[in-house]
Amino acid sequence: MSKMAKQSIIPFGPQHPVLPEPVHLDLVLEDETVVEAVPSIGFVHRGLEKLVETKDFKEYVYIAERVCGICSFGHGMGYCQCVENIMGVETPPRANYLRTIWMEMSRIHSHLLWLGLLADAMGFESLFMQSWRLREKVLDLFDMTTGGRVIFSVNCIGGVLKDMDIGILSVIQRTLDDMEKELRPIADTFLQDYTVGSRLRGLGILRPEQAVQAGAVGPMLRASGVAYDARGLGYAAYGDLEFEPVCAKEGDSYARCQVRIQEIYQSFSLIHQAIEKIPQGPIQAAAKGNPNGEYFMRIEQPRGEAVYYVKGNGTKFLDRFRLRTPTTSNIPPMLDLLKGCQLADVPLLILTIDPCISCTER
Amino acid sequence: MAKTKFWPFASTALKNVFSRPATTGYPFQPAQYPERMRGRVEIVIEECIGCGLCARSCPPGAIAVNRAAGTWSINRFDCVQCGNCTNVCPKKCLSMVPRYTEPGREKKTETFTKPLPPGGASPKGSPAAGATKGTGPASASAPGPVPAGAKPVNDASQCVYCTLCAKKCPQEAIQVERASKTWKLDGEKCIGCGLCAASCPKKCLKMQ
Amino acid sequence: MNGVNDIIPVTMEQFLPAVIQFKMDGWRLVQICASRLPGQYELSYSFSNAYDLWTLRLTVEEETSVSSITQIYPCAFLQENEVSELFGVKIENIQQDYKHKLYRIDRDAPFKEKG
Repeated sequence: MSKMAKQSIIPFGPQHPVLPEPVHLDLVLEDETVVEAVPSIGFVHRGLEKLVETKDFKEYVYIAERVCGICSFGHGMGYCQCVENIMGVETPPRANYLRTIWMEMSRIHSHLLWLGLLADAMGFESLFMQSWRLREKVLDLFDMTTGGRVIFSVNCIGGVLKDMDIGILSVIQRTLDDMEKELRPIADTFLQDYTVGSRLRGLGILRPEQAVQAGAVGPMLRASGVAYDARGLGYAAYGDLEFEPVCAKEGDSYARCQVRIQEIYQSFSLIHQAIEKIPQGPIQAAAKGNPNGEYFMRIEQPRGEAVYYVKGNGTKFLDRFRLRTPTTSNIPPMLDLLKGCQLADVPLLILTIDPCISCTER
Repeated sequence: MAKTKFWPFASTALKNVFSRPATTGYPFQPAQYPERMRGRVEIVIEECIGCGLCARSCPPGAIAVNRAAGTWSINRFDCVQCGNCTNVCPKKCLSMVPRYTEPGREKKTETFTKPLPPGGASPKGSPAAGATKGTGPASASAPGPVPAGAKPVNDASQCVYCTLCAKKCPQEAIQVERASKTWKLDGEKCIGCGLCAASCPKKCLKMQ
Repeated sequence: MNGVNDIIPVTMEQFLPAVIQFKMDGWRLVQICASRLPGQYELSYSFSNAYDLWTLRLTVEEETSVSSITQIYPCAFLQENEVSELFGVKIENIQQDYKHKLYRIDRDAPFKEKG
């Protein structure tokens, strides 16, 4: 027998204290080092893509946004934009701006949630509570503007269902200014604290070419130095607003944390820009007829690029709806990261891709 | 490489020791609901015409409408509060109000029954004869309970092409052109709600 | 900025060389999607570079096997497993083949039939 260490297999998940997501990993270990990780998902497959064949396409918006509880607004918007593209419906500019504002608020909400989970994974409980307390303010804004805290139901084919008047917009501006002040100490703690740094720096380095080949998207890709942000395509009102994709060079867990924190600040700025520029006018365009054709739509969700594909056949029931969620793309690079890491770092590494398994299993 | 600090969290932690909690004492203090909150669906049953559009456009299928019996029922535990029913309702008798559904021991369906119209008033939607006592005196021209699957049929000899039926149709299934004197029904779109027949001033539309 | 968003029909012979070409040029695999045609499947493989998106469209008979692209893009394994499991498309030689055990579902190929 050679000097090869004895291998053992440790099951991780689907119930794990650090990660309330139904993902199971078989970790092949040599001593404490992971040599291979075999993922298995599929505990909660719901078949939502199939439902499109039996539901009216206008009604399906409400199902599309229930794919995920965190990026729900984006899923509804991505589906609507895809159908609008096929039907040639021009959404009114005001609706585009409103969608952008809600989308960026979702991003703030999602990133703050992730920061809290990261702190929780490191055992920094008070930082976790600070992050989630701040997140509560965005949820209250959602509650005020849409009537829901998690699922918003404001998208429809051709525009949005609810408007924001000048009073609401100024409340949003004021709340965001407060949040920006309150985020500063939290962000400083994440980026400068010795304890946090020692847990994150140099952990799970993903090189740029490796990230592209493994198909990484979103903050995961940008933390490795690849400046790709699907918002640059200019859908909704992003074409009128000024922003640059947030990038970092190192590609480690610290860089991914840094990118997400800077994206929160970027979202603040985007919402302020959108509120300043928002035009008056209708919020809904009439969508007559049924979609006939196909389209691939890419939008930037908080977790990364999501792809929506709709194929219509001229009736009110679509032939196919496909949603490639960011996590589907981020699992293969995550497996690359896990190879060679220590067992104790596994939860943290899984968390740094910001996994959403329920969304992956539509 | 970004700089590393010791104790960056200390000031926040100290402040939190002396500040009030961020949470509220919910069961003792009443919750405050925002105005737009989609808490639960409420119906003004007197206004309901039983067209069934809400039931048809409910994604989870939580609503059932029985036009003949004049009832509207909702399984509140199936309802996902998307608000689609309130958007499609042609009479806007449905609304989303703040206040959540109370938890219950079992999943129940809540049923609202349309009160009987006072004698002589609009008899539309009155229950089928014999189902309950004292039905309103249904005049011959009233649509009455619409049999399932019935579609409007136009009597062209009486029609004045006023386009009222096309305007009232919640599904935009009727096309009327006054100039060329045409009345067209899109059978696929028609849901047989009877709104057109009820609104027809000449009573030339019949549900058959 | 509006990137290219095109669908290119390819035949089975052109398919693998095209994928290899994308790989050589450093493109990223975006998604793999299947949809039904009568007696056939329509497979779409999307690749992206910066803001451009190209989709290869492969139409195959129901019984024809398609070669896996996991030898070229190892990250395709999840989506290829999904396609073969939900639609019953025959995909050969997937590295890390879950053999229809990726999703815990009751029926074989639930997306194959309409309704």
